[in-house]
Amino acid sequence: MNFSNEDSKDMNYRNSLTGVLVFFFLLFAPIASFAAIDTIAVDVGISVFKTIPIGIVPFEEKGRIDWVEEQPHKILTRDANLSGRFDVVASPKFDLAKFSREHADHYMTGKVENAGAGMLRVQCFLYVSKSKTLRLGESYTVPQKDLRRAVHEFFDKATLTICGERGVASTKLAYVSKIDGVKQVVVSDYDGFHRSQVTRDTTISMMPVWKRGNKGLVYVNFKTHRPRLYEKNFGGAEHPLFPQFDQTYSPAVNPVTGELLFSSTVDGKTDLYLGNTETGKARKFAYLKSNQTSPAWSPRASEVLFTSDRGGSPQIFVMGRDGSDLRRVTFMGRYNERASWSPEGDRIVYTSMDNGKMNIYTCALDGSDIVQLTNNAGNNEHPTWSPDGQLIAFSSNRSGTYQIYIMRKDGANVTRITNSGENTAPTWSFFNEGINNKKEGNK
Amino acid sequence: MKLYAKIAMISCAASLALVACSKNNPPETNPQPEAAPAAAAPAPAAAPAAPAVNEDSLAAERARLEAERLEAERARLEALINQIMSEDVYFDFDRSELTEKAKELLAQVGELLLKETRFTVTIEGHTDARGTEDYNFTLGAKRAMKVKEFLSAYGIEGKRMESVSYGKEAPKAQGETEEAYSQNRRANFRVNIQP
Repeated sequence: MNFSNEDSKDMNYRNSLTGVLVFFFLLFAPIASFAAIDTIAVDVGISVFKTIPIGIVPFEEKGRIDWVEEQPHKILTRDANLSGRFDVVASPKFDLAKFSREHADHYMTGKVENAGAGMLRVQCFLYVSKSKTLRLGESYTVPQKDLRRAVHEFFDKATLTICGERGVASTKLAYVSKIDGVKQVVVSDYDGFHRSQVTRDTTISMMPVWKRGNKGLVYVNFKTHRPRLYEKNFGGAEHPLFPQFDQTYSPAVNPVTGELLFSSTVDGKTDLYLGNTETGKARKFAYLKSNQTSPAWSPRASEVLFTSDRGGSPQIFVMGRDGSDLRRVTFMGRYNERASWSPEGDRIVYTSMDNGKMNIYTCALDGSDIVQLTNNAGNNEHPTWSPDGQLIAFSSNRSGTYQIYIMRKDGANVTRITNSGENTAPTWSFFNEGINNKKEGNK
Repeated sequence: MKLYAKIAMISCAASLALVACSKNNPPETNPQPEAAPAAAAPAPAAAPAAPAVNEDSLAAERARLEAERLEAERARLEALINQIMSEDVYFDFDRSELTEKAKELLAQVGELLLKETRFTVTIEGHTDARGTEDYNFTLGAKRAMKVKEFLSAYGIEGKRMESVSYGKEAPKAQGETEEAYSQNRRANFRVNIQP
């Protein structure tokens, strides 16, 4: 009885609500288009940071070029869109009126010519729109397959010129990809291109993280029928790490010293250990009654985030690197896990489970100012910051399979960067320190 | 699971040689050897005719009986191992406490392990697909540990048990349904035979 009462009340309420909505819609339909414009303005207004309009003009082509790869202006456009810093003002040619109207104070363009022997010579320019003053010019001679990386490098320098901060188009992602049914560790450029397989095992590989200087990866493999950490430098051989410990996982590389913080499970109890990968020595990091996992360093490695189950469910805590000043960060919800510290140091990103679905949140270090970045789109997991702190990569099964996505740190501008198979658990590389020297290294 | 079944089979096969050497099995678990003398009896009756051949046939007969006995022992152990490996223990979401049902099952496993003193087990803890890989490793480890603690209390020596967590990496059932999840929140056994 009660139920049907409730139901009918609910129905009445819904019907009347629908009626009101229809009425209002009819009343205001003519000005709906204005409202839409308003919405766009508000959307930009509430974003964490403002985007900068930038003009992009197709490169002038000299000689016959058979385009197999994307043309340079398209690569620049994708970089600008992914960066979260820019709004692209596309124009087929330099158009001062358009650039002025859309507040594109700068524009990028260039020249590309066939240099023979399968090489392209590409010149990239960044101009001030009004004066056509050259702010930045770079020249690369590369095979067409490396054009993308050359343009990424120019884009990062242009970002530095305009914003005062280096872009991340030359950085990479490591993630886990199911290949022939087995999880393997792979690496690709940040935009999903140039994928290469790092592990080739018949047993699961997972949880890749970058070694300092992007020299290689640390990851977990199950070849001993137990989770164990391994390291592998690019082009080098694989080595087991800390074999004196049972069941090692959740690696976190200290960005200052290169030391490794990790979880090890002994007799069912999981603790954090701090180890030196060179000497193979490690010690218990903190003596706590609870289980601890998912460690993450602060940008200067003075503090550590981790997950503890001491309240009976996973919650995020922080403590000094000497184990002092332990405090809880998350209080909302029953399941908060895998925190990662923003490179700027002011916020953390983490995953929270609600009604069985995983979503990504950020908050301040005292747990305040919680912002939900993903919602109503499958599971969203394993967030990782870009080294400039502007972007977050994560994995989501919103399309039906798990794929890697990039979004702005305010949750806007979600872009999928992998398309096939199952891809999970991305971790973003550090900045490439040798970015300026690399150009000479191009063959 | 299939892989482990195979491993267990191999362990079983390897252990046959050891069974043959040690020969100190409790007689009540071996019905086959009881039947052996009876089956062997007709052979001596025909013996006087050709003593040289007889020696050979006797040896062959003994070998055959021994093989039969080992085969029976192997089958018996395999059945026990399969029984233990099929005794999955299930858990509630994000919990590692043993349910009453789980305790009943574990008591049966405990009985078996008390009898078969050469069995050692690896207890594997698993979780469902929800949640992070990292936390699920710790959760699987807690589940495996709870099982180990129960069996310890049942009188099984700690050195006969090893625990490992597979987190959410080795699901038994696929899919994102509560049915699949509940099948995957489990601890299961891998059995080996010590010499």
